[in-house]
Amino acid sequence: MADSKTALIFTRLLYVLCAALFVGEFIIHRHAYFALEATPLFFVGLGLLSFVACLIGARVLHILVSRRNDYYAEDGND
Amino acid sequence: MIDSVLNIVHAVPGLLLILGAALVPLLPQGARAVYMLALIAVSAVGVWGMANGVHLTAQLAGLDLVLVRATPLTHAFAAVFHIAAALNVIYALHDKSRITATAGLAYAGAAIAALFAGDFITLFIYWELTAFTSVLLILAGQTPNSQTAAMRYLLLQVGSGVILLAGAVLLWRDAGASAGASENGLLIGALDAETPASVLILIALGIKAAFPLVSDWLQDAYPEASPTGTVMLSAFTTKLAIYMLATCFAGYDMLIYIGVIMAVLTTFYALIENDLRRALAYSLNGQLGIMVVGIGIGSQLAINGVIAHAFASTIYQGLLFMAMGAVLHRTGTAKASELGGLAKHMPLTMLFAAIGGASIASVPLFSGFATKSLTLGAAAKAGHEWVWMAVLFASVGALLHSGLRLSYHAFIAARSETAAKLPSDMGDAPGNMLVAMGIAAALCMIIGVYPQPLYALLPYEVSYKLWDAGHVLGEMQLLAFATLAFVIAVKKGFYPAPRDRLVLNTDWFLRAAAKHVVMDLAGPAVRLWFFVLGKARDALMRVLTISEQASRESGLVSGIASTGAAAGIFLAMFALMLLIRQIM
Repeated sequence: MADSKTALIFTRLLYVLCAALFVGEFIIHRHAYFALEATPLFFVGLGLLSFVACLIGARVLHILVSRRNDYYAEDGND
Repeated sequence: MIDSVLNIVHAVPGLLLILGAALVPLLPQGARAVYMLALIAVSAVGVWGMANGVHLTAQLAGLDLVLVRATPLTHAFAAVFHIAAALNVIYALHDKSRITATAGLAYAGAAIAALFAGDFITLFIYWELTAFTSVLLILAGQTPNSQTAAMRYLLLQVGSGVILLAGAVLLWRDAGASAGASENGLLIGALDAETPASVLILIALGIKAAFPLVSDWLQDAYPEASPTGTVMLSAFTTKLAIYMLATCFAGYDMLIYIGVIMAVLTTFYALIENDLRRALAYSLNGQLGIMVVGIGIGSQLAINGVIAHAFASTIYQGLLFMAMGAVLHRTGTAKASELGGLAKHMPLTMLFAAIGGASIASVPLFSGFATKSLTLGAAAKAGHEWVWMAVLFASVGALLHSGLRLSYHAFIAARSETAAKLPSDMGDAPGNMLVAMGIAAALCMIIGVYPQPLYALLPYEVSYKLWDAGHVLGEMQLLAFATLAFVIAVKKGFYPAPRDRLVLNTDWFLRAAAKHVVMDLAGPAVRLWFFVLGKARDALMRVLTISEQASRESGLVSGIASTGAAAGIFLAMFALMLLIRQIM
């Protein structure tokens, strides 16, 4: 990162925020519309899983659809 | 006669901007901006507080047309279109292109006029006008890519208009044939999605709302416009389509699934796209998907959510395009692989991009939270568990591609080889760009903290408990832990670096496959068609170039050479506006 000091402060603040939100789960009542949502730490898990799904999905899509930049130009298609 | 014209200009929202745009090329740069802002202000005053109902009708070849009609859904869209038009003028103050300024103002006017269209024929006219004015913004990019992308864009946009017209004709025929039908089958209102006429209209709206398989015009063309042109493009066309979908197809189940596909699929595309403005185009498409989900649910809460989200997203998406436009303006590139380390040079732009990113990701206290929560609540209350999960997933995706990834690659990551060659004294964005971004960022935060004025513009009363502690906690957990995962991935080096590759999408069918197939089947005729099309494009570009040359300092309609005349025109226009106000 370009500015490691700022990045360090940001990262530490993020750790503190995540810790507070983790503890908050056991203090604040969440109204659940669905049974799955009532699972403890549901949103924590969903956030992490969504990130992993984004990474994997993007990787697979990249393999399937990425081409050289001159793909359309090479045979006069554009 | 003059009174009649003035009355019509006053009575038809947006018409003042469309007609007023004709004088924009004649004005010097500074006066041009003042003039355009004055027109937008007069137009906004004209529509503010307009009562619901029919305001102006006309007859054309036996057809009863409703030229102006306001509904409970119209007001929020009209308000945000005026805000976007004004922000665009401020953001483009430094831009000398008269084509961009003229087309941008007429485009905003056409979109506003279309909002108030009460029948499909009137809508068709403004629908096509938005297509023709917006394509000029893409052509004004003045690169070979922008010219070819503009032609593909025009093909789909005009095609959408033709399909809309065909649907309108069928509606009119059906209304005439069916005893007991309403007198005017052309009126815009709720449609039964099972009839051929409605299907055609749904396809036409779907093209402009960038449904899957017909969405590529958006990602293909928007990033090819100039930095200012792309910001203008991001505001109107797609939101107009959302407004019409909400008016005609609220509660049509199929839209829920179409919206989910839009929201999820575009997330992955936005994550692999190297051009950050194109990534934002995918991001815009994903936000449209969430709105389409809300339209499909169709409850009062969902429709409130759609309209509130369209309002907020016009501003935060515009803000993100502005930030990347500023980066492009300063560095000459918006490719993630060629950026990095701009935080020291462009700290305010980075701050505004971060606010836009927080808004699109629905971080509490930012606008997306106040608006997207309504759609989430509507999905939950309707029992659509997987749809609700998909919208949450799309929120995380938006956080990643439009918040974290965009800010990281442009501003925070180590400088790329290209970025390292930038001058060490490179400053932040020009002042006018910063002012426009600052206003947009302030609006994002005001809506996030105090959404009540926005809620007051919505068609139904909002009883949703936005600040429920459990709801805020859940949203914060979702986003904070996804951010944590991103930070760890970056620190550990397993977050993929951007790669400068072309990403295939369904525009491939238009750009490669269809072309080969059609050429093989009907070679000579198609070659002739492409020849004519190419000549038409060249002629249009020549007109644009001549117009640009004529408006340079030594040109025929030079701002400096004719400052006195331009000031006279400006004063005349100002007097005209005052006259219109008097008539009001």
